[in-house]
Amino acid sequence: MDKLKNIGWLLFIISVVAISYALILNPASWIVYTISLVFIPLAIISLGLFSMARGRKEDEEGKRKEPFIGY
Amino acid sequence: MAISKIKTQITFLLLVKIKMNLMANILLNVLAAFLVGSVLFGLQRKIIARIQMRPGPPIIQHLLHTFKFFIKETVFPKTAAMPFYIVITIILCAIWVAAVIVGPVTEGSLLILFAIFAIHKIVEHNAGSSSGSPYGKLSCVRAVFSAAAEVPLFAVLLIIYLQTGTMNLSDIIAYQDSNGALLFSIPLAAMMFFVLILSKAYYYSPLNITMGKDLVSGFETEHFGMLRGFMMISESIAWYMLLWIFLTVFIGGLTPIGYIVGMVVITGLISLIDATTPILNPNHSVMTQVTLAFIGIVGSIILIFYL
Repeated sequence: MDKLKNIGWLLFIISVVAISYALILNPASWIVYTISLVFIPLAIISLGLFSMARGRKEDEEGKRKEPFIGY
Repeated sequence: MAISKIKTQITFLLLVKIKMNLMANILLNVLAAFLVGSVLFGLQRKIIARIQMRPGPPIIQHLLHTFKFFIKETVFPKTAAMPFYIVITIILCAIWVAAVIVGPVTEGSLLILFAIFAIHKIVEHNAGSSSGSPYGKLSCVRAVFSAAAEVPLFAVLLIIYLQTGTMNLSDIIAYQDSNGALLFSIPLAAMMFFVLILSKAYYYSPLNITMGKDLVSGFETEHFGMLRGFMMISESIAWYMLLWIFLTVFIGGLTPIGYIVGMVVITGLISLIDATTPILNPNHSVMTQVTLAFIGIVGSIILIFYL
């Protein structure tokens, strides 16, 4: 789970840098569109990755051992 | 005195299209779409509840739910097809950000917006199938089935082109400025688009078979925690965009206040229908939409060429 949190922070920083670049330096339109399409969704999901609650360590084993009943 | 000054300034900001940085324009529009879309979903729930003699949740409940999901524990199901299970939520958001860019930001081509609707159907299909849940899978099958109900979408496109000779939103707005609202010249096309909006309504829509309550939450049943919150953001943007397109294409370019009033009115009408109509089974839903599309296409062609 910590790995996910780190990935979340990394993605968030990259997204903020990219969006700030487009905000401040005002590049060509197609670059702004690309940044919007890629980094706005990434920024939102990265917020989720580092803000989501984590289960307790002692519960993890129990979750893994939960028998899979199949569909 | 100070209050009246502030009021004047706000009105000025709302009514005058300020030329701003493109990225800032996109960010503001995405944020507005999310907030307005979420509140409209909340309004939808409230109206449905009041019609059913319940007090109902507060209007901001959908918004609160969205934020709440971001801080809930997220567990990925064992059956999920990783990483597609997560990537599909990013694609859902990306297509609706694209819709905001093509719509309110650049007033581009209707063709791209309708392509986005088609991709949304594919996303519903893939979100359902990637979860491994039987509810998701059934919803995924229904997404393919309900693709037949997208006929009104293409018919609307054709009729608008026949009437205005353009697919460009800015040209359609200009056409309406000089010839009056399309709502009155091609009302059956507006009816078809309204049916399309109804089929995409989030709560208890009689036509939305992919989200039918018999499938719990349909294609997003197994997307919970922050992934559900993320999908709810995209769906709020999608709802705002559906209403924005309807108002822009059939009434013309409105002021922001005009858009909000229009959106509230349409959401109210949709809620009334949702609250008083049973959820149709998939066959009936698709056939209803196809039948209305047939009536709309034939009627509109008669209106355009023979009346």
